[in-house]
Order: sequence, then structure tokens, then C-alpha cells
Amino acid sequence: MSFTGSAVAPKKQDFAEEYTLQELLVAAAAREINDGEVVFAGVGIPCLGALVAKLTHAPNMLMVVESGCFGPKPYRLLLGIGDNSCLDNATCVSPLWRAFGDQQRGYFDLGMLGGAQVDKYGNLNSTAIFAGGDYYKPRTRLPGSGGANDIAVSAQRTLIMMNQQKRRFLEKVDYITSPGYLDGPGAREKYGYPGGGPAVIISNMAIFRFDPQTKEAYLDSVHPGVTAEDVRKEVSWDLKVSPTLKTTPAPTKNEVEIIRILDAEKIYTGAGLKGLTATKYFHMLDESYDKLKAMFK
Amino acid sequence: MSAENTKKSLDKRMSLKEAISMFVTDGCSLAFSGMGGQQVVAPTYEIVRQGRKHLTLMGDSPCECGDYLIGTGQVDRVEVAFIAFAVAGVSPNYRRATEKGIPHKLDVCEFSNFTMGLRFLAGSMGIPFMPTKSLMGSSLEEYNKMIKVVDDPYGGGKVALVPAAIPDVAIVHVNRADKLGNAQYIGFGSNADVIARAAKHTIITCEEIVSTETISKIPTLTTVPQYVVDAVVEVPYGCHPWNMSYAYVYDLPFHMEMMAAIDAEDGFKKWMDEWAFGCQDHEQYCEKVGWGRLRKLTQYERKFSQCVV
Repeated sequence: MSFTGSAVAPKKQDFAEEYTLQELLVAAAAREINDGEVVFAGVGIPCLGALVAKLTHAPNMLMVVESGCFGPKPYRLLLGIGDNSCLDNATCVSPLWRAFGDQQRGYFDLGMLGGAQVDKYGNLNSTAIFAGGDYYKPRTRLPGSGGANDIAVSAQRTLIMMNQQKRRFLEKVDYITSPGYLDGPGAREKYGYPGGGPAVIISNMAIFRFDPQTKEAYLDSVHPGVTAEDVRKEVSWDLKVSPTLKTTPAPTKNEVEIIRILDAEKIYTGAGLKGLTATKYFHMLDESYDKLKAMFK
Repeated sequence: MSAENTKKSLDKRMSLKEAISMFVTDGCSLAFSGMGGQQVVAPTYEIVRQGRKHLTLMGDSPCECGDYLIGTGQVDRVEVAFIAFAVAGVSPNYRRATEKGIPHKLDVCEFSNFTMGLRFLAGSMGIPFMPTKSLMGSSLEEYNKMIKVVDDPYGGGKVALVPAAIPDVAIVHVNRADKLGNAQYIGFGSNADVIARAAKHTIITCEEIVSTETISKIPTLTTVPQYVVDAVVEVPYGCHPWNMSYAYVYDLPFHMEMMAAIDAEDGFKKWMDEWAFGCQDHEQYCEKVGWGRLRKLTQYERKFSQCVV
């Protein structure tokens, strides 16, 4: 991994020795963000990544969420793109259609996406897993596009976060909710999409980037302890590997510290929402206020 | 009051029961405001209580109003971008309907959040469609015949057209409104401005009914002007368990209990028996949740929100 953009390469002693996989993913997402960029962030690890970037190498990054809130500096964990926290210290609020209009106009540098299936051209499915059925009678119905199709079409570049499984990394997805490079070179240009398409896929095993000529995803970096062979086993197409395959750098001590303050109850970087009692929830709100306020100063 | 002259009324205040029964009829199309938070929950329970059927739901990303009204079998058709409970989880009733036809088959017509907003925008301006760069080349275009891809007559390449959405009834929940219907958000409204204007009839529900003088203090906050509004209903905590900005925080633990309860079909029926039919109205719902708990949600929001309005 190269620390491109405004990210300054950390020194060896800055890297954390003890961290979780989720913390590595948050840091990897953060490092895709350059200072000064407008980032359309989704909830969970992408949003944590955006806030970590803001609190480290990209202080002038502006985060936007779908409900129409711009530039929040929340003193509590974001519990959704329509959470009140999206308004905390925000600099602008607009209607949803207006925010997406700004994106279609070309103002948003980076959009963050996820899905249940991805293919080698970075097309994403978050609509339905057919598995023997079809669109009208799928085995598993998923929520649908939401704003994902719009982000995939119009954000200047996109970051995709996925779970690494063979049944999710496919030659072809069942349904294209969010277009990547469709069927290869020239396809996005045919429709005149405003955005450039996917730049990176971050999975729980590796980081993939896209060949500028073939538009195919290739393996660029493996997370510590993972081999290229491990990753190939969890990809359905004949995966190409970068001749300069890297190892994803660990998060820094500073990044880990920030993540543990932002997500103190490990809702996105641990067991999820299970076990979140009312007592724990209010305690989390109490604890976060002062700590986050100090951090955003 | 007949439904014809309601927009000109100088006092549109009524109860939630009256508003729903006056405008929500069998076979009508409905749209709700909200995006995760600001979700229109109390009116959804009232629609469940009144039991109108063969409804069409038009919306961007409905949560309770999508899942519940599908689960009760009241909705026949959806024109939406997304149905789920955001961070709390997937929509079990949407899954049952689309995967297994329970309680009955659902007609699904899919757009994206932006393009549903554009459909309401077209409806709000009285024009037939809006062009967009979204949707083209995806499977949404392939499976949805309402999306038309054409060549821009001005030579700008291909564009997708999405038709105006004009729901029979819009239900929009805001922070405050006056009795004329001037409705203010102190926070985000998502697509509420265009949903309210596009609909034939618009019900404003609000946390608080205030004087017109209060509205006039900061007129830039008025998202919906009086002339589009047919009814004004005061429904404090109308979004619970969701958050309402500058009013109360998200009751996530309550939502997790609800999600666990409605996961199975009979569990959902029990939840409706308890929280929709087991409460006569929203007042009783609030009593059941507990005013102490609701006040606590408000106290937390006051701690975090920096707004001076």
C-alpha cells in the first residue's frame, strides 16, 4: 500500500501491534480519503473510516450523508445516515434530492458502497440473490438500491467494502444494483456516467484495485497473515495478482485509539448491536460526548 | 369538512384518527417522509388500526411504513428504492412478501433514492418526468418498464427518464407547524419538500403546533408552505423509536426488541396486536413506552444538539 494523497507514511514505531481486523479495515478505508475531498459516506465501517481520516490526515475532508447533512462533527456514534448525529456541528442541510443533484453535478469526490455480491468489473448487487429463482422469486431478497445506484453512477470514484467469500466475488452478479464498469472498457462512457467508477474494493482479506485498461479487479494487497492463494480460493473468477503485491499496513496506534473512542461499544468493530441494552446505550452517549468533543477540537 | 376545500382552511388542526380516515382510502397511493430518522411511525400504526387495503406505497427508503403495511397485507404495490430498517436490520415482512408471497404477492417497482426524489420533484412542479444519469445500464432499468432511456434532444447523449410521482396522500412529519400548515424542520427533511408538494392531499404531523408568529421568526425553516397542506396533527414522539432531530435521540434498544419480535410471522402479528390494536391511539402508545423513557430520549438530544432555534 502506498500512502497516496495527503496521507503521510507513518514510521515503523507508529504502527499498532495489537488491533482487530475491523480496525484494520477502518484504517484502510480512511487511507483512501485525501484531504479536502467531499466524501459521500455510508454507515458503519465506511463512516468510521471517513471520521478517522478527518481526525488524522484529512482535516479538511467534508463528509456528506444521504439524508442531506453536510460536514458533521458528531460527538456521538453515527447510528445511521438519518441519525440526529449527522446534524451535530454540521455546516449545511439540504433536501436529499438536492444532495444527490450535487453529486450528479460532479461535486462529490468519493462515494462508499457495499453489497452482497460483487463481480470482476466492480458491479454490485444489493437487490436480490436469485440462487435458482429469479428477480420475481429470489431466494434472498435484499433491501435494494437506496442511494447506491446514484453513488455508483455519479461519485467521482467509489470505494467498495465487501465480505470475502467465493459466492460473493463472482464472474457476474445476479442483478446490477450499482454499476461498476458494467461489461468492461468503454461501457461507462457509452452511458455518459458523470463518475469514474470503482477505485478500490476493501475486503476482510485483501485490497483490490482496477486495471486501467481491462477494468478488471486485481489483487493489490493482502492483509497481514493472508496469502494470495487464500484470496484466490475466495474469488470465483481467474484473479490476477499485482506483480508488486503488498501487505496491507496495520493501523497506527493513533488510528486505533481514535477508532476505540468513536466506537467505544464496538457496534461496528465488534459484536454489533447484540447486547446493547438501554443502560449500555445511554452510558455510551454519556461517555462519547466529552471524549469526542475534545477530539474534534 | 370535505376533502375538496381543506387546503384553503384557516385551521387545519385535527386528530390523527380524523386525518387518516379522511384521506387514506382503500386503493389509494401513499408517500411518507423520513430517511432512517424522522420516520413517520405513529401515522403508520393508525393506518394499521383503520385497516385500509390495496394501498400503493411510493417512497425512497421506507422503514416501518414499508415493513408494517406489507406485513399486514394492506399494501399491494410498492414504488421504492429500499425497504429495510437501516442499521437495525433487514425488513422481515418485505422478505416474506417477495420471497414467499406472504401475506400475499407484492408488486415491486424499483428506483433509487435520488430518482424517487426526482419523481416527486417532477410531481411537485406539475411536469411529466425528470431526466437523470442514474439507473441507465443497471438491472433497475432492465426490470422496471417505467424507466425510459432516450437520447437527449439537445445532443448530450443518453439520459434516463423517470415519471412524475403524484401520491394521493403524503404524510410528512416535521418539528413544528402552525394551524395553517406552514411546516418547519429544524434539521434534515430528506425528500419531504417534494413529497408534500407532489401529493394530492398532504397531512402534516408535527412534534408541536406553534403560532404563525413563531413560524415567521425564521421563515427559511419552512419546508412546506400552507397551500399544499390539508391537515395538521400534533403528534409528539411521532417517530419513536426513531430519532427526530432536535427533539429526541434514536431509541435503538427499543428498535432491537421490535426487530427480534417481528422476525417471525406470528411474532409480527403479536407485535401489531400489542402496539397497534392494543393502543387506542398514539397517546396510549406513548404511555405504554413510558413517558419517563421518552423524556430521557429528549434530554439526551438536548445535550447533543447545538441548534439555537
